[in-house]
Amino acid sequence: MNVLATLVLLVATSKGVVTAHDHRIELAGAWRVDGVQHPTFIAAHEDRVVVLDAINNEAVIVEDGRTERIKTAETPIAASFVGDALFILARDGGVLHHVGGEDTQVRADLLKNEWLYSRATGALTKIGGATVQVPPFASDLEVDGDTVYLTYPREAAVRSVRGGKVETLRVGAVPVDLAIAGTMIAVADPSSKRIWITEGRQSVAEAFARGFIRGFLGLSSGRRDREFPTGVDRVATRGRVWIAYDSSSGTLYSFTKKQSTVIARNVPANGWTLTANGVAWWDGTSVAQKTLR
Amino acid sequence: MSALLLVLVLAQTRLASDFEIAQMEKQLARSRDFEAQLSGHLNLGDVRAARNELTLARAEYQRAFELAEKERMAARRESRLTRYSNATSYAALAKAKLGDEARAFLLLEEAARYASDDAESWNLYASAMRVLGHPRKAISAARNAVLVAKEPLDVAIYQHALATALVDTGEVAEAEQLLVTVTTALRSDAFASLRREAADAEAFEVYSSVRGDVAAYVSLLNRAQLRLASLYEQRGATDAAREQYRRVLEGRSDDVTALAALARLAVSDDERARLYAEAFEANPFSPGLIREYRKNPTAPSTDMQRALVALQRGDRRAARELLDAMLAKFPANETLLGLRREAEGGAFAVPSQSPSASELRALIDAFERLTPEQRATLDAATFTSEIVDGAIDGVPVRLTAPVAATRVTYRILGVGDNGVLLLEPVE
Repeated sequence: MNVLATLVLLVATSKGVVTAHDHRIELAGAWRVDGVQHPTFIAAHEDRVVVLDAINNEAVIVEDGRTERIKTAETPIAASFVGDALFILARDGGVLHHVGGEDTQVRADLLKNEWLYSRATGALTKIGGATVQVPPFASDLEVDGDTVYLTYPREAAVRSVRGGKVETLRVGAVPVDLAIAGTMIAVADPSSKRIWITEGRQSVAEAFARGFIRGFLGLSSGRRDREFPTGVDRVATRGRVWIAYDSSSGTLYSFTKKQSTVIARNVPANGWTLTANGVAWWDGTSVAQKTLR
Repeated sequence: MSALLLVLVLAQTRLASDFEIAQMEKQLARSRDFEAQLSGHLNLGDVRAARNELTLARAEYQRAFELAEKERMAARRESRLTRYSNATSYAALAKAKLGDEARAFLLLEEAARYASDDAESWNLYASAMRVLGHPRKAISAARNAVLVAKEPLDVAIYQHALATALVDTGEVAEAEQLLVTVTTALRSDAFASLRREAADAEAFEVYSSVRGDVAAYVSLLNRAQLRLASLYEQRGATDAAREQYRRVLEGRSDDVTALAALARLAVSDDERARLYAEAFEANPFSPGLIREYRKNPTAPSTDMQRALVALQRGDRRAARELLDAMLAKFPANETLLGLRREAEGGAFAVPSQSPSASELRALIDAFERLTPEQRATLDAATFTSEIVDGAIDGVPVRLTAPVAATRVTYRILGVGDNGVLLLEPVE
């Protein structure tokens, strides 16, 4: 299966895993509603789900099987629930939709929680707040508490931004994605075919701020090519579960500081999600799940 | 130029001759590296598409996609992520040309993760979105390319791409301003050395995917001038439009788009006829040229023109003969196949009692396909016409017996050699 050829999105909700594909959105055993032609992004908050079609400029919001369909500005690329508020970033239209509220003009490519980032200009803006100028061309934006993290593939760097202060740390060769939870941070570096991990006693934000992070430990166990033969380019975490994904082969891994384990192969690019106690993925016909605690 | 291979926005593509296609195929057969092969297949796809040879075009795009996909997987395995993102962008462009918008979009977003600082990646993004009919997405990507580009030639290329996307959404004022900037820059001293290199190399080919600065310069100047001329023409600035079209011909004297445009804007019939003749010599299969010519046909001097004129006056048989002769040489050409279908004609109707020339031509055209019932109806009918110099209103006829009067009542027996209608006089 070509993993970039299959448009299937999964997201965990308080009532189970919701899938979006082939014009429908579904919570198995509960409801099925009309979706979008090309599901390109999905997000959830409790049992409320939003599915975006960035090609046709459309969003469908589902709550308990009831749908609201919205025509968005050009290219709704990402959405974020901030408390009960839902924001949709229409990148090429330069609009941040506040569903049920006021739209605002923005120039941004990435949206995470209440933070917007423009790859072209490096403007990092908190919704309704100030803008911090950071270097442009980051590949990923993650938020942990009041700290924002950005990965810079070309510079081999990760930056943290907290209270307007920017800290830079060199990581690997081509870091493209990161995940963060508590005292641990993991960075996907497909060029090195490694996940770079560090963990300390203090939070990652504290460690960054105090310059305590000196280097990362590369997870590869000396069996690099065997472990991540084409590298992993996505990492995610929820609770104590850490997941890595290789979009070139569609391989899904779980990992700890010491080892990685293949969970599934031929998983579509966005066809997996972290659940409350593990991971769920699209196996070609239905949702498969694995408990990882 | 920052990239080895650069995609120019496909628009108003000049129609390549068979000779040029054969040359491109030979070059492709000799080439070994990824960029050469990729640009070869993309260009061949574009020229096939421009000649309306859509099946052949799809085959070339599919080969381009397979090449790019293989390259990006190899690059990923070898940890060459710049190569990976570049190949991913080209895989997306090939998919866009194949009409697979979902896959193209995912690939473009994947490339953007790694290379949002690369102007060429954004240019490819813009090109793919234009191909897929999403001009506002193309504008956004093209603006990023202009913002990120540094080299003067790169900046000009991306400004042209942005202007093209703006034209698609009707934002012509900004587009025109950008194109004036681009064409002025390209004709300035800053590009004198490239101009000399192009002249020394006798470089004149205009492709949508180019390798090297000289090829990029030649293609870009051609495209930008054509587009600017078209904008001038649309807003009625005819003299400025003519000047730009003439500048295109300075670079390439057989540019079919410029020739057709100048024919359209010609001030005399003679000039128009000459320009149309040159345009049809350059490429007889251009749908745009054919459309233009049919609106305002001049005395034909090529077989394609003769076929179009024959169709225009309802002489489908003559059109079929001309088109069949061309199809023998170009059997896959979809422009010819479309015209050939048109030349088949519509439903048969018995001519009126005093038939017009077009009714008689329609009958001649359909005669071989008449059903026995239609034939019986026709045999039972009589018609009356003025026959002057062996013709009814210009349609050649032959009577089975001599008749003294010019006004003759007759039955229609059939169609003889060269489409001559055979008539039997009745008392």
